[in-house]
Amino acid sequence: MAAAETDTTASGGLAGEMEVEAYRRLFPLAFLERHLRESVRPDARRLAEARPTTVALGAVSSAHGSALIRLGDTAMLASIKLEVMSPPTETPDEGSVAVEFHMPPICSPLVRPGRPAEMAPVLSKALEDVLMSSGMINLKELCLISGKASWLAYLDVYCLNADGSLFDAALISAVAAFTHLEIPLVSVGDDGRVFTVGGNEGKTKYELVNREKRKLTLKDIPFALTCALHKDNVLADPTAEEESIIETFVTVALDSSDRLVSIQKPGGGVTSMATIKTCITLAKERRHKLQEILMDSVEAMEVDQTG
Amino acid sequence: MSAAAGTAGTYSPAAEAGGKRRERKEELRRHLAEDADWPRADGRSFHDCRPAFMQTGPTTAASGSAYAEFGKTKVIVSVFGPRESKKAMLYSDTGRLNCNVSYTTFATGIRGQGLDNKEYSEMLHKALEGAVMLDTFPKTTVDVFALVLESGGSDLPIIISCASLALADAGIMMYDLVTSVSVSCLGKNVIIDPTSDEEAWQDGGLLVSYMPTRKEITQLTLTGEWSDGKITNAVELCMDACSKLCEILRERLKDSTSLASE
Repeated sequence: MAAAETDTTASGGLAGEMEVEAYRRLFPLAFLERHLRESVRPDARRLAEARPTTVALGAVSSAHGSALIRLGDTAMLASIKLEVMSPPTETPDEGSVAVEFHMPPICSPLVRPGRPAEMAPVLSKALEDVLMSSGMINLKELCLISGKASWLAYLDVYCLNADGSLFDAALISAVAAFTHLEIPLVSVGDDGRVFTVGGNEGKTKYELVNREKRKLTLKDIPFALTCALHKDNVLADPTAEEESIIETFVTVALDSSDRLVSIQKPGGGVTSMATIKTCITLAKERRHKLQEILMDSVEAMEVDQTG
Repeated sequence: MSAAAGTAGTYSPAAEAGGKRRERKEELRRHLAEDADWPRADGRSFHDCRPAFMQTGPTTAASGSAYAEFGKTKVIVSVFGPRESKKAMLYSDTGRLNCNVSYTTFATGIRGQGLDNKEYSEMLHKALEGAVMLDTFPKTTVDVFALVLESGGSDLPIIISCASLALADAGIMMYDLVTSVSVSCLGKNVIIDPTSDEEAWQDGGLLVSYMPTRKEITQLTLTGEWSDGKITNAVELCMDACSKLCEILRERLKDSTSLASE
């Protein structure tokens, strides 16, 4: 390991004799700022560059829809299970979606069993707000028999490795799980309960309720990008290390027609409108990229099934 | 949370009643219990384990971690520490091993609550306790956390083997790797590495956690109904499978160190 060069500005003479890894842990802010001066980040990314992202559909066989995504080292597993409910009287022809975000103790040294992470319910709510307000899902498509039965989609997102930008990662995995969701064929028994009907559609003796509605038509899919703001620098898709040093974050969610779904800046330092605009521009670029990645994974899945 | 999520009265739709699937399952159960040899639902013979896929390092935030996939059973184990013990803990010359096992809400066929599994946490602790050199990290705690992503049978033995790989990946000193295998006794036959269905049909179960190099058993759990002659054979069957599984663990550890040194 190479010794750090003598630093005259940040932490005085101490840095001269120190190994890089020790410097990184003892003076995290100075370490980050020295990188930013060269317009580069500790993991060798450019400031506006997001980490490589992969989407794998169908990771959980016990679910109706699922997706495992990686955003750099951050890993998220989203799964959807469908249950039948009787719809509330106000909306007799709509189904419902229940969103839950989990941070199990395996994902980060900061989470201990029995003490749920404070962040989890916050992200849960943010995720639900963005998913439902984007109008991606037409709840009417989750209806089985108006006023009698409709689907309740349980969306559970598990963080398997927490390395920053958890919201962005959770949103991609949730959206990907919905694109993978396949609704089972069902029929209704004499007792009014819904049951699933096995594979061969043509031959079954039961009357099917939902022959056409096997896939949801997703419109206006939302994608998000979190940016960390440090002085004049805008760092896209921060890692856990960067998140622990920097205080100000802006999360922008856009849908597939580039309309704003949400902007969140939870506290932190003050910032200008110009900086927010920069974040929106970055989020637009990221939206294009993510949409491509998602479409590619859907195609890869279809090739897998036919081949 | 949506308005409807809190209200009770939702259910997962059952498969059509009187379906052929149930009859086929019942027939398979009879064959497994009575015939001398019969292919299992996944095509294995009685004494074949499922192909084991194991890997170190899925969770970079942890000191060490491992992923295991045996058929449908998928498990991630993260190891943290040695780190400061909880404030309430008394002073201790030896280190502490803290184990926790939880399931995802979608791990089983019907959506669960995703709660901790206290019984498995305790069993995991007991299986590993004898293998970890606790005196190498006095006053501190090593946390072993397991998450079952999908449950497909033989969950506990897979958690134990995966945890021992994660401990090794974290560089925690151990006398030997611990591997674990379970068998189910079904009628006349003993079936190794049972799936969820086979576990549901079993008359008796046996779980052995074993340190293959030292030839020592750290944990042996026998449940249900067993005829005398079969137990010794079943234990030997488990020990043999444990030794083979241990080879796989060693290969994975060699892979990860050779990658790191490049």
